[in-house]
Amino acid sequence: MEKKLLVEDHIRRNKRQTIIICSFMALLFIAVVLSLGYILFAGNIIIALIFAIPIAVGYVLITYSISVQAVLSAAKARPANSNIREEKLFIYKVEEMSIAAGLPMPKVYVQDSDNINAFATGKKPEEAVICATTGALRKLKPDELEGVMAHEMSHIKNNDILIMTVTVAVVGAIALISELVFWSLFWGGGARGRKGEGNAIIIVLAIIFVILAPIFSRLTYLAISRKREYLADSNGAYLTRNPEGLAKALEKIKEDHPRGKPKGSKTVAPLYIANPFKSVSVSSIWSTHPPIDERIRRLRSM
Amino acid sequence: MLLWIGIIVIIIVVFFLLIYWGFYNRIIRMENRIDNSWAQIDVQLKRRTDLIPNLMETVKGYMKHEREVLENVTKARSALMSAKSPQENIDADNMLTGALKSLFAVAENYPDLKANQNFLQLQDELTHTEDKISYSRQHFNDVTLAYNNTIETFPGLWFAKRMNRKTRDMLKIPEADRELPKVKF
Repeated sequence: MEKKLLVEDHIRRNKRQTIIICSFMALLFIAVVLSLGYILFAGNIIIALIFAIPIAVGYVLITYSISVQAVLSAAKARPANSNIREEKLFIYKVEEMSIAAGLPMPKVYVQDSDNINAFATGKKPEEAVICATTGALRKLKPDELEGVMAHEMSHIKNNDILIMTVTVAVVGAIALISELVFWSLFWGGGARGRKGEGNAIIIVLAIIFVILAPIFSRLTYLAISRKREYLADSNGAYLTRNPEGLAKALEKIKEDHPRGKPKGSKTVAPLYIANPFKSVSVSSIWSTHPPIDERIRRLRSM
Repeated sequence: MLLWIGIIVIIIVVFFLLIYWGFYNRIIRMENRIDNSWAQIDVQLKRRTDLIPNLMETVKGYMKHEREVLENVTKARSALMSAKSPQENIDADNMLTGALKSLFAVAENYPDLKANQNFLQLQDELTHTEDKISYSRQHFNDVTLAYNNTIETFPGLWFAKRMNRKTRDMLKIPEADRELPKVKF
């Protein structure tokens, strides 16, 4: 019971931090859109708004609506086949964890890869997807796989999947706008000399801001991602009542050196249980995940 | 003056009605969640009793000298089928878990049986059902605990009394190693 309160406190704190980080993201996005309009229309803020807001919102909505399909095809994932024993046991584990969490059964996918990894995606718990690599199914023992599934199920329960989907869309939109502005400088377009001096300075500042914005948005995104990993670890341990399962799985991920390059795109890396691209023990603001040793230490101290 | 007092009284009354409304819905929702999670357990228990005859049919041909083990499984199954209260169900289910555990342990001595695809599948599925039962029990206890906390703490306590609600029993979940000895009737 004491542990439960602890987890609930974690959830409350996590929610508050998420709201702050998400509002920052939204503000950043609005600022970028405004700057773009400002640059294009030489300081006419009204036209800028009329022009830029529908495009930006449209982009985010479209990315949002195709996100699940996009993530699955980026990972080259396929639905799990219940005729193969490994994948059948995987489906079983997902079902058990969904019962423990009191959530509907997610769709279960498999990614052909030697890496040990897994991710969850979707917009709401009712339409969630859980995917694991064939490497994970082959190399993890039942209790370790269970720990990993509990971690993913907690991402679904905490609504992380929605927040990550939306932030992926916004980060993409900001990157796109920034690139547009950057290349338009080469074409010599924009608003040079059309208005007075005062505006020119603001426009230059706007351009600099827009070009730097992807860095901010990416850092924010990574901060969201790291925060949520710890929480999913502790909630997952609460679901299985067995922190050791996930701890052992993380240890295996750490020591695993698969052949071949990791698949999938870097934008979706934070969705996975461990970053498929980078070394796992270094912590920096550029990390998608907290250092794996620290995650193991926290699980073992529960 | 009288008008102001009237307005304040109305505001207070509306305020209390709103809180009562909120708690009423919350308590009902939690009760439904408990009932639903019990229904989940029930479905799994039923599934398990349905699988046993198939298992016995498959095993019979191989295990000629393990009468006691097989009998224990059958006994536990009928105990489960005749169980009425939730706790009775769970106790009978624990018995069955123990009996199956010894059956699968004995099965290790029969290479032919272990190679039987049908047996492997039944074993997987029975283990899966067993895990589902233990996780549904855990979920049942989670939601029951949340319910009990709501109606035993202030201000839920106050509304629960008004609604004539009492705390619900949690399921006693025995520790894994205590399950085996229970098989001896």
